[in-house]
Amino acid sequence: MDLDQAAPLLRSMLLIRAFEAALMRRPDHGFQLLSQGEEGVAVGVCAGLTEHDQLLCSGRSIAPALARGLAPGSVMAELLGRSGGPCRGQGGRGHIADPAAGFFGAHAVVAGNLTIAAGVALALQSEGRGGVAVCLFGDGACGAGALHETLNIAALWKLPLVLVCDNNGLAISTPRTAALAPAALADLAAPFGVPGAAVDGSDVLAVAAQARLFVEAARAGAGPAFLECRSPRLATHSSSTRETRSKTEMEALRQRCPIAVLAARLEAVGLMTQEDRMRMEGEAAAAVAEAEAFAEASPPADIEEALRHVG
Amino acid sequence: MSDEAASAPVKLFFREAIARALAEEMARDEHIRLFGQDIGAFGGAYKEFLGLFERFGPARVRDMPVAEASMVGVAVGAAAMGCRSLVSITYMDFLMLGLDPLVNYAAKARFKTAGQITVPVVVKATLGAKGQGVAHSQCLESWLMGVPGLRVVAPSTPADAYGLLKSALREPGPVVFLDHKRLFPIAGDVPSGEGLVPIGSAAVRRSGADVTVTAHAAMVRVALDAAEQLAAEGVSCEVIDLRTLAPLDVPTLAASAARTCALVTVEEGQVACGVGAEVAARLAETIGPLPVARVGALPAPVSSSASLERAVLPDAARVAGAVRRLLRQRGLERA
Amino acid sequence: MIYILTVPGPIEDVEEVRVLEWHGEPGRRFEIGELLVELETHKALVEVRTGQPGMLRRILSKAGDWQALGGALAVFSDGPDEALPDSADGLASIAVDFEIS
Repeated sequence: MDLDQAAPLLRSMLLIRAFEAALMRRPDHGFQLLSQGEEGVAVGVCAGLTEHDQLLCSGRSIAPALARGLAPGSVMAELLGRSGGPCRGQGGRGHIADPAAGFFGAHAVVAGNLTIAAGVALALQSEGRGGVAVCLFGDGACGAGALHETLNIAALWKLPLVLVCDNNGLAISTPRTAALAPAALADLAAPFGVPGAAVDGSDVLAVAAQARLFVEAARAGAGPAFLECRSPRLATHSSSTRETRSKTEMEALRQRCPIAVLAARLEAVGLMTQEDRMRMEGEAAAAVAEAEAFAEASPPADIEEALRHVG
Repeated sequence: MSDEAASAPVKLFFREAIARALAEEMARDEHIRLFGQDIGAFGGAYKEFLGLFERFGPARVRDMPVAEASMVGVAVGAAAMGCRSLVSITYMDFLMLGLDPLVNYAAKARFKTAGQITVPVVVKATLGAKGQGVAHSQCLESWLMGVPGLRVVAPSTPADAYGLLKSALREPGPVVFLDHKRLFPIAGDVPSGEGLVPIGSAAVRRSGADVTVTAHAAMVRVALDAAEQLAAEGVSCEVIDLRTLAPLDVPTLAASAARTCALVTVEEGQVACGVGAEVAARLAETIGPLPVARVGALPAPVSSSASLERAVLPDAARVAGAVRRLLRQRGLERA
Repeated sequence: MIYILTVPGPIEDVEEVRVLEWHGEPGRRFEIGELLVELETHKALVEVRTGQPGMLRRILSKAGDWQALGGALAVFSDGPDEALPDSADGLASIAVDFEIS
C-alpha cells in the first residue's frame, strides 16, 4: 500500500463526511441526499480521472462534486441556493455542475443522466483527446429502460463511457431483492458484451484500482464498462426519509464505513497514526468551516438573473 | 447568370426543402450531427434526409435503434458538449418516449447550470394523421408550448420548412421542429439564396377584415380553403400561419384581432389546453375580451379507418361553419 | 395522328410531379414498352413507357419542369412528317404504361 496514493483518498473522504455533518447541523439544510458511507465510491472513481474526463452523477451529488475537486465553499453555497455556487444557486444539490472542472454534473431524475452521459461520451470520442465520460448512479436506476438503452448504444458505438453503479442495496426503502431480478448488477452489462466488475465499495483502494482499469481501457478505445460498487448507506435515503433498518443492521453497516476501513488498514501497517488521523480530521473541519463562512456570505440566488438563463 | 435568374426561387418538394436546409447547415457547421431511425442510407421515412449520408458520412448521419429515450438523450448529451445535434423522431406520438431528456434535461440545462451548459439540439418530429391509426396520428405540440426554455416551430410550406429548420439549427437552445405527414406531398417555391425564417414570426397568408383565423402546419391549407368558401358568401377572412408556436408572435396576431374583433383558431390536435386556447388567452390579455371559437379534432383518438379519420379531423367545412356561427353570435350580441 | 402525352395517373397521394429525365429527343421513334421519361413525385420515381409506337415530336415540359397529374408533357405522332397543331386542345392521349418505384 502506498501512503502517497492512500492519504489523498482518506482526506477527500474525511472532507465529504465533515461537510455533510456540518450541512445537516444547519437549520437551512434543505432537501439533501447524503453520501455517508458511500464516499469511497466517488472518491475511488475520481482518483483515476484527468482534466479531459467528465463525471456525471445522480441526485446523490455531494461526494461526487467534492471528490471531483469543486471548492467546498462553492458546493456549500450551491446546496443552500446561494449565488456563490457554480450554478449560481439555481441547480442546488440535484443539478450541481461545473463542466469546466470536469464535473458535467448531477441530474436528479433517477436514470435520467445515463443517456445524456452516452451523448457526452460520443462528443468526447469525436474530440479525439482521449476523454472519458463516467456516470454514477444507484441500484435504484437499474430497473430503468434507460440503462438498457445506454448500454446498448455505448456497446454498439464503443463509446468511452464507464457506468458506475453505487449499489447501497436500497432504493429509498425498497431493497434490491424486491426491485431487481439480477443479484449481481454488473451482470446487467453482459448481454451487451460490455465488461463488468463488482468491487467492495467500502474499500476505496479497490474502487480506485478497478475504476482506473476501466477508465484507461475506455480512453484507449476499448469501449464502455460497468463497475458495480457495493457500498453501505449509513444515513437514510434523504433528509426527509425515515430510517427503515434496525439498529443491529446499522451497527453492522458502520463496520463497513470506507473511512474506518482505510484508516484501520493504514494504521495496521504503520503508515498512519491516531494523531495523523486526528490532524486530518481537524484540517477537514477547518476546510468545512471556511466553506460554511463562504456560503453564508454569499447572497441568495437572484430571480432577475435566473430568468435570464431560461433560454 | 443575371441577378434575376440568381434570385429566382426554386420549386422543391417539402422533403427537398428539409434536406437542403440540413445539407447547408451541416456544410456550414462541421459539428452538426443527425440521429434518427432510417435516416442514413435509407434517406428518411419521407426521403427528407436523401443524400446526406452519402455526402457527410456515417459519423455525422447516424441510424439508431428504435429507442426514443436514448435517441433524444444521446443527441442532447452530445449537444450539451458542443456538438450541435438534430434528432429525428419519425412520429410525434413517440416523442413521448423521449420527453425526459428533452424536458427534464435539455429545456432545463441552461437554467439549472446558470448558463454553463447550453443544449443546441433540434428535435424533429412528424405530426398528423394519414391512415396509420391511434398511436401514429397525434398532434401533441400544445403539450410543449408551455415548457420554459423550449422553442416549438411548425412550418406549413417548403419555404418555411427550409427557413425555420435553418434558424432552428442556429439557435443556442433546444427547438422542436414539427413537420407533418400530409405536407410532404406538397411542393412550393423556396428562395434560391439563403432564406432564414426567424423563429417567433407568424405570416399573414390571406388578408381580411371580418375574422382572424389562425392555423399551423397542415391546417393552414384547410383554413385557406375555408376562407375561399367564405369569400363567396361575402365574409373576408384574415388567415394567419402561426409558424412558431413557442414563442407565439403575439404582436402580429394582436394587430389582426384588434381589427377584426373575431378569432377562430384551427388545429389538428385537441382544443382542450390546445394551441388555440393559448392563442385566445394571450390575445384576450393583450387587446381585451374577444369573441373566439376554437376548431380542432373531435375529442377522440384518430382511427386508421378512413371514414373515422375524416370525421374526427377538422376540414374546411367545419372551419367555415365555425366562422359563420361566431360572426352570427357576435352580430346578435351587438344588435 | 397527333397525340398528347400527359402525366399518367391516378397516383395515390400525388398532386404534381417534376420531370426528371427524358429518354429521347424530338425525332426519336419509340417502340412499345420503351422508357420515355422519368418523373419524380414527393416519394417515388415514375417510369413512363410507351403503350403504342410513336415518334416524339415536341417536349412541352422539360427536365426540371413541374406538371400536375394529367398535365401535358409532350406531343407525339404516328408518322414523322405530320404537321403539328398550334394548340394541344382536343388531342388524343397516347397510351402509356407507368411504374412507380
